[in-house]
Amino acid sequence: MLAHNLLLPSPSSSSSSPSPFAFDPHRRRLPRLHPLFSDAAAAPARLAGASRRIKFLPLKSSFWETIRSGFLKDSATQIVDPPISPEEEEEILPQEFLLFEKTLPDGSLEQIMFSSGGDVDVYDLQALCDKVGWPRRPLSKLAAALKNSYIVATLHSIRHSPESDESAQTKLIGMARATSDHAFNATIWDVLVDPSYQGQGLGKTLVENLIRTLLQRDIGNISLFADSKVVDFYRNLGFEADPEGIKGMFWYPKY
Amino acid sequence: MASAASPIHHRPIFSTTMELRWARRPVTRKPHVLRLPPSAGPSSVPIYISTRPGHVDPGALRDLYTSCNLSCRRFPDVGPGRRVPEEEEGGDGRGVPLDKLRVALAHSAVVVSVFCRDEDLSPDAEQSAVVGIGGLVSKVLPRVDPSDGRLVGFGRAVSDLGLTASIYDVMVIPSLRGMGIGRMIVKRIVRILTSRDIYDIAALCSENERPLFEACGFGDDILGSTTMMYTRTASNGHGVVKCAGPNLLLVPTPKDRTASSTSTNSLN
Repeated sequence: MLAHNLLLPSPSSSSSSPSPFAFDPHRRRLPRLHPLFSDAAAAPARLAGASRRIKFLPLKSSFWETIRSGFLKDSATQIVDPPISPEEEEEILPQEFLLFEKTLPDGSLEQIMFSSGGDVDVYDLQALCDKVGWPRRPLSKLAAALKNSYIVATLHSIRHSPESDESAQTKLIGMARATSDHAFNATIWDVLVDPSYQGQGLGKTLVENLIRTLLQRDIGNISLFADSKVVDFYRNLGFEADPEGIKGMFWYPKY
Repeated sequence: MASAASPIHHRPIFSTTMELRWARRPVTRKPHVLRLPPSAGPSSVPIYISTRPGHVDPGALRDLYTSCNLSCRRFPDVGPGRRVPEEEEGGDGRGVPLDKLRVALAHSAVVVSVFCRDEDLSPDAEQSAVVGIGGLVSKVLPRVDPSDGRLVGFGRAVSDLGLTASIYDVMVIPSLRGMGIGRMIVKRIVRILTSRDIYDIAALCSENERPLFEACGFGDDILGSTTMMYTRTASNGHGVVKCAGPNLLLVPTPKDRTASSTSTNSLN
């Protein structure tokens, strides 16, 4: 029983219906959002980035405007909700949407993009793991693990300088991945967010989107192994410790 | 002396994908006495253990799940006494849905299956007389084939083939338990994973499976991590729900706008 969460567009925004547009897989640009636009008709775009599964699909017309109009000129933070799409295709469509964007004091625009396409540079990931203080793991193993994970969700920060001639700077600031047998079980590993971006709900967004994608595939056993410091974080997201006596055990070689 | 073109033998990573093992019930008397008083099941059984996913017939596997009283959904935990509900969404009312089982098998990195001959499962297997030299040979050198043998044990593991792996659904039919088959399955899975250089192996197990895994070298996490599973249902939240087997799990929605949302919950 799939029920759809229907939210009406906010009455303050202009009520133009969102127009579907075709995927252009070669265009890895961002939605044309001007920080000072007056009409609120821009819908969050769904671009397929340079990921391995690219399909030509007309966008489903189930967007709604979630951009609130009317914000301050300096240091504007605007929240854009991701679209909830109806029944997805059999395979996972790599999703990419804008979480929010902010105008920095120096005039540049910073956008936080969520992506489930798995397009991660393994060196960037290694640097991010160092930043959060995790022990180093061999790069080849890391690359293999990313390639064979069922979903790899990433957060990138894209900074546009005030002069539109310069190209945007992209930085990996968060990642979460899940392995699965594609039918019943999934385990979430390696959830991390850059320390300077923590505390803003980015980790929560990463995990929630993972869970949503997994549940839409009817994968009901979602498990993870949490450090003692983050048990409460996951409890708030709906996880329960040792449900009904199910415990995780790990293998230790006996020498 | 050797010919110019000598054949190069490429040994596969696992030189035996199927091998014959003898599963024996532990005896309390002298070790060479194999006959126990007739109990549930034979005391010594030839089995074939296979690591080829192609040997597993999904229908036979589904029946094995049912006879072991297991379902692929971890919870609600049925416990030893109650039967697994046979109603499964999208299934034909006979247990675990077959198409999902096929998908799960196709995406499991390691699949171990154990077969034995039908005649060995019957209760009077021990007492049947050995007839002639043919009978003697078939008793000493049994030929067990996955095509005509019965699937009696199973185990699988899901992995990212780089860092981690998780073992699921290890099972042996009740009449052949206590003979070390479960341990054989788990040890084989671990051996395959470590030969692929994966040492971070996890297993989600219930209370009655713990002794099996402990006997194979598993233990609680030394880093003290807590195992957690997603259990948020409609009763402790509001919004969209998704049927996942017998559970109705709550799908996280992005940014609930207001407390009294206009969402439609349809729960049947």
